[in-house]
Amino acid sequence: MIKLVQHTLQRELTLAYRRRADLLNPLFFFVLVVSLFPMGITTDLDKLTEMSGGVLWVCALLASLLSLDLMFRNDFEDGSLEQMLLSSAPPQVIVLCKIFCHWLVTGVPLTLLSPLLSIMLALPGHALPVLMASLLLGTFSLSLIGSIGAALTVGLRKGGLLLTILIMPVLVPVLIFGTSTVQAIVLGLAWPGYLAFLGAFTAGAFALAPWLTVAALKVSVCD
Amino acid sequence: MNPKRKQRLILILLGVCGLTVAVFLVIFALRQNLNYFFTPLEISNGAAPSEQVIRAGGMVLPGSIAREDGSLVVNFKVTDYAAIIDVKYDGILPDLFEEGQGVVVIGKLDDNGLLTADSVLAKHDETYMPPEVTHALEQAEKAAK
Amino acid sequence: MWQLFVRWFHKWSSPKWFYEMSKPWSFWLGWAALLITTTAIIWGLGFAPVERLQGNSYRIIFIHVPSAFLSEAIYVTIAIAGAIGLIWRIKLAYYVAKICVPLGMSMAFLALATGAIWGKPTWGHWWVWDMRITSMLILLLLYIGLWALHNAMERPESGDRAAAILALVGVVNIPVIKFSVNLVTTLHQPATLKFTEKAPMHISMLIPLLLSILGFYLAFLALMLVRSRIEILRRERKAKWVQQEIEQLGNR
Repeated sequence: MIKLVQHTLQRELTLAYRRRADLLNPLFFFVLVVSLFPMGITTDLDKLTEMSGGVLWVCALLASLLSLDLMFRNDFEDGSLEQMLLSSAPPQVIVLCKIFCHWLVTGVPLTLLSPLLSIMLALPGHALPVLMASLLLGTFSLSLIGSIGAALTVGLRKGGLLLTILIMPVLVPVLIFGTSTVQAIVLGLAWPGYLAFLGAFTAGAFALAPWLTVAALKVSVCD
Repeated sequence: MNPKRKQRLILILLGVCGLTVAVFLVIFALRQNLNYFFTPLEISNGAAPSEQVIRAGGMVLPGSIAREDGSLVVNFKVTDYAAIIDVKYDGILPDLFEEGQGVVVIGKLDDNGLLTADSVLAKHDETYMPPEVTHALEQAEKAAK
Repeated sequence: MWQLFVRWFHKWSSPKWFYEMSKPWSFWLGWAALLITTTAIIWGLGFAPVERLQGNSYRIIFIHVPSAFLSEAIYVTIAIAGAIGLIWRIKLAYYVAKICVPLGMSMAFLALATGAIWGKPTWGHWWVWDMRITSMLILLLLYIGLWALHNAMERPESGDRAAAILALVGVVNIPVIKFSVNLVTTLHQPATLKFTEKAPMHISMLIPLLLSILGFYLAFLALMLVRSRIEILRRERKAKWVQQEIEQLGNR
């Protein structure tokens, strides 16, 4: 089992490294869209502070969605996905490794970019650690839930937009818990509760998503 | 145990762990004061934030209801038998709002300690009070002893 | 006793049995639904008393409440049917899950639209981010996702299974959505809106409302049966009994 995990992680990271140009897209998107908000809405710093948590979260979510389709598509097209499902290895472990790698190359860089962008949105400095913690958990949730959507749409030609439509309702609680956490700390109120809810959702998604993703992959591969 | 079954077992344990962590986190989160509910005692002690929407609850103090002529504005006092707060509400009070009955008001506290309520929720008899109010009243009774 | 139940349960795996069994049901349910719903709507719109605070604008409640209840009930139906399909591989369950999606979608949309029409004279706003309204919007999005997934898959059988998985994801998430939206709406209370407290309803308004709810549910059952029958004919078209049936229907 350990060898399987090691091997899969290595494979995924190597493949990701080979398409690193693609992986910069979500980061550029993040920076771009966050910049649009002050330009489009208001440059008043107090109003920006109020909005900062929400804007950062929404943009981070949308940016992560961009690279979600790639989780299974390449493997589906060259047939290795089918091999993975047929092999004696438990597919849930393989899926978890893929999800973890997706998070490492998308969610974590976005989180690391967020301090820079939070300055642009006048987020108070003391809120930054909590913002980053919430983004780390939230993007991991997104990778987990998104994998189900990616698995459902991998066999379809124009899967990308459909993927977003499918999982958006399920992401609403993640967004709400995440932004509430940041807004709570910005307003000086109790934030651990909201972060705990976010953590609970992530833990629940961690427990359930791999099974659902594998079921969805089996449907897509047999299409 | 054959290896396949062992793998399955590990996977299921992993899943159960995830769910357990989720449940614990939810329980932890629910114990936090997310609803920003404050008793009159806490408000008079300055524990409640101003300029933030909070909930406050207790009993409507008998004899404290005063309506302003020509508008819907009504001033009344809410107590938990340990402290009293002033509430001002502009709107139609619920049918079940009465002196000596349990009430929850949602609104903002200003610097003078006046709570300007956006909404007033009332329940009829004492056994059907919102649990927050019952709990708060019990606490106040204990503190008074 | 258990054997009887198991045998009855397995009958449902035969689309042909269902097709024949459902004919009289769909007929009678359909007429009952039409009768009851018409009575309820006419009673509610024309004869129920004028409401104390809201005047006549509350009357839309006779359409708004049933459609809201029904949209949620239909989603649960779809999730259960999908689960039965996935676990016991009963095709009929998949057919029912598929045809209920547009029904649920239209109910959710109707609930939101009638709610907006009610909200404007009552609160002064077409739209408000209240917990129930936001949850209903998300329910509508879930329905749209199900419908899109069914249409996107190449083979209908794959669409069935994929949509069943998606429906399960959604149904598990609905309590979470309601809870999380509740957190947000109590945290950021809109400062200018006052929701009048719901007084317990007078019996003269309650009866047409209950009647309307009953009528809507019966209409849903009737439509579900009719649409399932059509879906069976469509999916099982290679079977001999279907081809005979289609000939008969064509000759009428």
